[in-house]
Order: sequence, then C-alpha cells, then structure tokens
Amino acid sequence: MNILICIKQVPDMESKFKINADGTWYDRADLAWRMNEYDEYAVEQAVRLKEQVKDADLTVLCIGPDQVTETMKKALAMGCDRGAHIADPDSSKREPIEIAAMIAGFAKDKNFDLIFTGMQSQDRGSAQVGVMVAELLGVPAVTTIVGFSYDNGTIQVKRELEGGSKALVTVTTPVVLTCQLGLNTPRYPTLPNIMKAKKKELLTLAPDAGGVGPRQETAAFYFPEKKGGGLVLEGDVPELADKLIQLLKEKTGVLA
Amino acid sequence: MEFTREIYWNVGHGFTTLAPMYGLLLVALAVFVLGFRKRIKVYRLGQALDRTDRRGERIKHLLETVLLQAKVFRVPGAGTAHALFFWSFFVLFIGTSLIVAQADFTDLLFGIKFLKGTFYKLFSLTLDLAGLVAILMLAGLLVRRYLVRPQGLVTKGDDALMHGLLFAILITGFLIEGARMAVTEMGTPLAAWSPVGWGVAALLAGVGETELRTLHLGLWWFHLLLALGFVAVIPSTKFRHIVTTSANAFFADHGPTGKLTTVNLEDESMEKFGANELTDLRWKDIFDADACTLCKRCQDRCPAYATGKPLSPMQVVNQIGEIAFATPEANLIDTVGREAIWACTTCRACQDICPASIEHVGKLIEMRRNLVLMEGEFPGEEVMAAMEQTEVNGNPLGMGYASRGDWADALGIKPLAEDPEVDVLYFVGCYASFDKRNIAVAKAFVTLCQAAGVKVGILGKEEKCCGEPMRKMGNEYLYQTLAMETVEIIKGYGVKKIVTTCPHCFNTLAKDYRDFDFAIEVVSHAVFLEQLVASGKLSIKAEEFACTYHDSCYLGRHNDIYDVPRNLIRAAGGRITEMAKNRDQAFCCSAGGGRIMAEEKLGERINIKRVEMAVATGAGQLLANCPFCLTMFEDGVKGANVEEQLRPRDIAEVLAERLAPTNS
Repeated sequence: MNILICIKQVPDMESKFKINADGTWYDRADLAWRMNEYDEYAVEQAVRLKEQVKDADLTVLCIGPDQVTETMKKALAMGCDRGAHIADPDSSKREPIEIAAMIAGFAKDKNFDLIFTGMQSQDRGSAQVGVMVAELLGVPAVTTIVGFSYDNGTIQVKRELEGGSKALVTVTTPVVLTCQLGLNTPRYPTLPNIMKAKKKELLTLAPDAGGVGPRQETAAFYFPEKKGGGLVLEGDVPELADKLIQLLKEKTGVLA
Repeated sequence: MEFTREIYWNVGHGFTTLAPMYGLLLVALAVFVLGFRKRIKVYRLGQALDRTDRRGERIKHLLETVLLQAKVFRVPGAGTAHALFFWSFFVLFIGTSLIVAQADFTDLLFGIKFLKGTFYKLFSLTLDLAGLVAILMLAGLLVRRYLVRPQGLVTKGDDALMHGLLFAILITGFLIEGARMAVTEMGTPLAAWSPVGWGVAALLAGVGETELRTLHLGLWWFHLLLALGFVAVIPSTKFRHIVTTSANAFFADHGPTGKLTTVNLEDESMEKFGANELTDLRWKDIFDADACTLCKRCQDRCPAYATGKPLSPMQVVNQIGEIAFATPEANLIDTVGREAIWACTTCRACQDICPASIEHVGKLIEMRRNLVLMEGEFPGEEVMAAMEQTEVNGNPLGMGYASRGDWADALGIKPLAEDPEVDVLYFVGCYASFDKRNIAVAKAFVTLCQAAGVKVGILGKEEKCCGEPMRKMGNEYLYQTLAMETVEIIKGYGVKKIVTTCPHCFNTLAKDYRDFDFAIEVVSHAVFLEQLVASGKLSIKAEEFACTYHDSCYLGRHNDIYDVPRNLIRAAGGRITEMAKNRDQAFCCSAGGGRIMAEEKLGERINIKRVEMAVATGAGQLLANCPFCLTMFEDGVKGANVEEQLRPRDIAEVLAERLAPTNS
C-alpha cells in the first residue's frame, strides 16, 4: 500500500503575531513552529494503518522553506518512511490551488492508494487543499473524518457534519481523506524512532505548480477590531425589561 | 586470689572439643560463603556501576552508618532499640572473640592470659550488661512487632526466626554462665561482677553439682550450635542485612544529591533506554533489595503513599528483589505498576531517611525513561501535551516563547542579548516567567536585587525550561536537548554567577548540567538574598509577622538548605511556627518529579494535605521558596477552603515589602 501524507508547518497559535511589512500575511519573526494539528491526525492515522496492514510505504510531503524539514522529522519519527520536501520559501503566499497543484504534480505518477491530510491549516484555514488535490488527481475525497477503519481494501470513515451529526462513508482506494480533531490521539515519538528518523530519506524538490498561477490578491491583513464585550441579561421578563431600560438610560442617549 | 575464670570449664579443651567446634564453624562459614556466592551472581545480573571509588569517604560513611548506627538512630523508638541491640550484640561478639583469642591462641600457643585481674572484672561486667541490654531491646522490638503492630509493618516468617534465634542465643548464654557460676563462683567476690549470671546462679541454687555440670555441658554445645546456625543462615534470611546493609553503606551514592545519571544519547549502538527488565537496572539496584530490612521508614514518609496512591518505595525495592531472585524474566514495569511509577514526586524523603543507603528514586526514573523513550507513554495526555509545548515553546505551560521576558519590561532589566555586562544572571524559570502568581515573586526578587545595587540580567526569550520536570518524568531526550541549548547560550555570554528563584532550576543547573561541561556558580535566591543582607548591601526593616515555613524538597533534602531561609524570615521579623513535618522530614507539595505537569487523579490531594498542616500551625502565612510549591499551595488553599486563613507567599515577597528606605 502506497500512502501519501501532506503536512504543513504552522506557527504555534500562542505566538505573538505581528503583521508583515507588506500587510499581506503575518511576520515570521519570533514565532514558534509546529506541525499543523490536523495534519498530526493524518500522520497518526497513516502510521496506524501501516501497523495494521504491515505492508505499506508512507511518504510525508511538506511545502515551505528549509525550516519545515524540522517538522517533517517529527512525522518521520512518528513512523513515516520517507520525506518529500518541496522547497518553496514563498509557500505562504501561495493560494490553495497552487499548493494543491504542486502536491498533485508530485503524486500523479506515484500511484498513491491513500492520501491523508489535515482538514485545514491552523494558520490560513482555507480547508481547500485536500479536496483540490483529489479533484486534480481525479480521485474521490472524503473530508473532516473523525473515524477510520480499513479492511481488505475497503475503507470506512466517519465524517463530522454540521450541527453535530455524523455520516458513515464507505470508499475504496484511491482516495483523499482530510482529518479532523477527534480522529485519534497522535503518538509521542519514541527515542529509537527519533534516531532512525534522522537517517530516513528526505528528498528536496523544486516547487512546480504545473502552470497553475495565482488567481487572487490579498488586499489587506489586519487584526480584528477590539470591541467591548457583550452583556447577557438574566431573569424573568419584567425584570429584564427594567434592567434594559436602566442600561439604556445609563449608557445611551436613546431615552433622553 | 586472681580474678579470672577457667575458659572451657566443664567442656574440656582437648581435641574432642576443638575438633568438632572448629569443624562446625567451618561448615557454618562454608554455608555462609556459598549462600552469598549464589546471591552475588544475582547482583551481577545488573549493569556495571562503579561504587568502589572515593574509598576514604566510603569507609568513613560505612563506619558511621554501621558502628555509630547514625542513620538507624535518626528515628527514635525502634531505631534506638536497634542501635542499642546492635551495640550490645557487637560487644558480646567482641567478648566472645577475646575468649577465643586467649583460649585457643595466646594461651594455647604462648601461655599468655589477658582475661584476668581488673580487666577481667570489667570484661565480665560489660558482657553481662550487654547481654541484658540486648535481651531488653529485643523484647521491646518483639512487643512492637507482634503486639503494637505499627501500621504498614510487614512481618514474615524470617522475623519470628530472628527473634527466636537471638533470644535463644542470649538466654542460653546466661544459663551457661549461671550454671558455671553456681558451681565455681557463688560466694566469691567475683560473682558480683557478673550480676545477671549471679541472678541465674541464684535461681539454680538448689541443683546439685552433677546436674549443673550436665546442664552446662549440654547448653554449651546447644549455644554453640545456635551461634553457628546463626552464621549459617545469614545469607538466606533477613539476617543478611548485617552484611548487605553494612556493605550498602560502603556502596552508597555519594552524590551530588539527587543528580540523575545522564544517558549517553550520542551512542548510536544504544537500542534500549531505561529499564523494563531486571537486567536493565544496575547491580546496586538489585543489591538494594537485599539491603532492605522492610523498616518502612521510606513508606511512612512517602507523600504518594500517605495520600492513598499505589506507590510504596519499600514495595518497589522489594518487587525488584522478588524479580531478581524468583522470576528474573518478569516485566519490571508490569510488576511495579504504571500508577506507582508515575506517582513519585522525587521528593527524596524515602532516600533521605533510608538507613540502608537504598536509592529508590533512580529506579523509578529508569522505569519512567523506558515508558517515555521506548513507548511514548505518559501518565496522562496533559503530560504529553506539556512535553510537546516544551518542544515548541520551551515551556510546559504552552505560552509563546517570545513573551518569556515580558514580565520584566517595566523593571529596567534587560536580556543579556542587549546588555551582557551584569553582576548576576537571573535564570527565571518557566513559572516565574509566565505564571501571574509567580511573576510577582520574580518582580519582588528583582526589586530586592536593585535595592542592593546588584545589576541583574535575564535571558528573556532566549531562556528555555531547564528541563527538570521533563527529565524527572523520564524524558531524557527532551531534557538533554534543552540542557545543551541552555548551556551553550549561558556560556556564550560569559556569565560568572547565576541566581534562581526555582529550586528545581537551581538543582538542575548546579548539578545535572555538570555533565555538559557547565561549571558556572549557581545560587538559590534564598542564599543569595541572605548573603546580601549579611553583607549589609540589602537592608530589611524587621516588621513582626507570624508564619510557617515549607522546606521545598529541592532546597531542603536535595541541598540541605534549611537555616538560611529561616534566618531570612527572622531578619524580616517573621516568627516561625514549624509544621510537624519540617526540614529533612518536610512533606512534599506534590509538584516535584515532573508532577507539576500532571493531574493528580489518584487518592487524596497532596497539596491539600500540606496546606492543612500549615493551617494547623495557626500562622496566617505559609512561606515558600519554590514556584511549584507556591502554585500548589495557592491551589491547595482553595481546595481546602482556607483562603481566609492561610496566605501562601515566597520569602522574596515578604522581604520586598520590608525594604528599608535607602540612605538618600
């Protein structure tokens, strides 16, 4: 079984974010970096599948500047077999379709049975790359999976839908699956596996979107305006009415 | 009249006595040697460890521990009885040796007798009294074990055998003496020098000489058999502690106290880390099991055990012994149990009190290392998350690393990256950097330094966790990564002196980092502030207040710093009411051993128990010296619902409130 896992390196969300000089994205200074949370579920599920079927080869792919190889090493330590780094220092400027085109370009002649990725990235959060990869490769995609089982070529996944309902989907390979919180608890790499990861194959490739170019432009990038907190009034109706009148009198001029 | 007695009286000193006697002695010694030979083979299943270096220190420690019973004596009651029993039995042993030396060597070969005259009188009296003391102490211990039965005391068949054999040896000894005296000494001035023997002889007054002689001869051989039997059973019964516990005093860990062994992670041939099998442990860990006497002092002081968690340090040591001698293939971790392994706070109360020089903490850490490094297992998901946070942001709290120095913004101190010319580097630690409650301590400490004219620098966003909680939790790899980065950064600035407000940072930088070629002086804030006060650089205006003081495990038991913080508190006007468990017996706050990262899910809460001890003193303030303790106590006063009665504070905060106005 040939499996591809697409991961992204993102800033830790506790970081102090600043807007970059162009006003188009966040500034990279003073940020701590880690694997996109949803991609961790993807890596974990792929490794579990390999542990189940034994005969599987796991390629982890990541697009970005050289520093992303640090995050790729974690995926290799968790159990991926090889890494493919598409070295693109400007990856943060790419649109989802460009990223998807680079991945599809890499994957098209490699006969992946399964492609796991996160349902979205924690920084851009477009949730488009996975499905676009599937579209470009002409394979089905099942998004936001929170459950996965594999039995003799048949995959059954549980999808999380709006409003808390779930859907069970049965698919066969090849397929792209995007992973959601709740799918699994990613493992902590063991030391022997961290050591082994250092020696695993890590290919570096040039970015190639196969002619797909940008279609959008970031007009502005800004922090949300700080607003005063809301106020929830509690009590029975006459009491609520009194409180409201009181507030309107004190804080506004509408009743004046 | 010459004051002496005929040795071998009534027994005879010919070949028919000496041949069977020495023959039996040889048999006893052979059984003794073979018994230990078998056990030594088992000890050697463990990994190599050099415990025969620093011989002078080791011999001194051995003599103090064994002959002076220094450690045994620390616990009154049973400890006192054991020490007195040991000394009296030791005197009896020397007395018997002197008799053998004279009768079978100096007199036999050269006609020299030294057991005579005044020396003999004193010899006789001393031995008589020693025998009496031994019987009384043994009786006391018997009452304790079989009638009083202290909670947690494990009594096995061995204990009955030991009591029985020792009583039999001592009592037959007096009976032999009494029988001899009844025939030879009664009515002579010498009898008074053997008061117990005199008493026994008086009881035998009506018995005829022939019967006395028969009784004497029979008991003499019986006593000999008992004594030689005692020698023979030493290796196979708890009597072995006479040899193993004594030897362990020689093999004891000579520190630095609480420093863990550093795993060589550069060694690529290493495929296994930590211990999940007997053979992963060191020989000393197996030997420790044989040195344990089940005295339960460790268990009595273990905060995890005291709050109903499935950990008893004594049991862990003995489970290793059971595996070693009965089921060497057994899985160590399954036998000890994960919950027990994770429950340890590394407070060192067990190791500190152990009269047998056993190292409990290292064994648990080795098992944790195996779980973390080989299995990726933690006591809970929150611990794994804290580990990952530390990998990403350099702190287990998950705060963005770049804001680590923000707390100091308004204080006029700079990171070394901006100004490396400082008197001291303040290694702030994670809690004082990010946790609001502990930031107040950091600020108070800096205020005090500034008042004393000390120029302080910090590492700011370059500082990372020292790695202590991760290391104690078994994550040696993450610890070493953090340690190596920290060492490189600090050395790069040419720092001369480091001060910490966290005893965990202090212990780690001062001891564990030595393995990374790091020799910079590290001082805890309590010691540093006391030096400033003593040298007159820091003036504190004493304003009276009542408090109790908590000895953190890492300043107290790990570094023997007990008086310095108390002096500081008194200098500030503090009246300390001690808690029942203080100084080297202090009760942990629950957060050591990396437990600061873990939820306490089993048993009662340790911190609440400690807070209740503090409340019981009636003092309104609980002074601490450690951010982990302070965090636990702030949580504990809420949990125990005593927020109004007890205010946990760091010593630095109290001092900063009492800064004397400057001379200006």
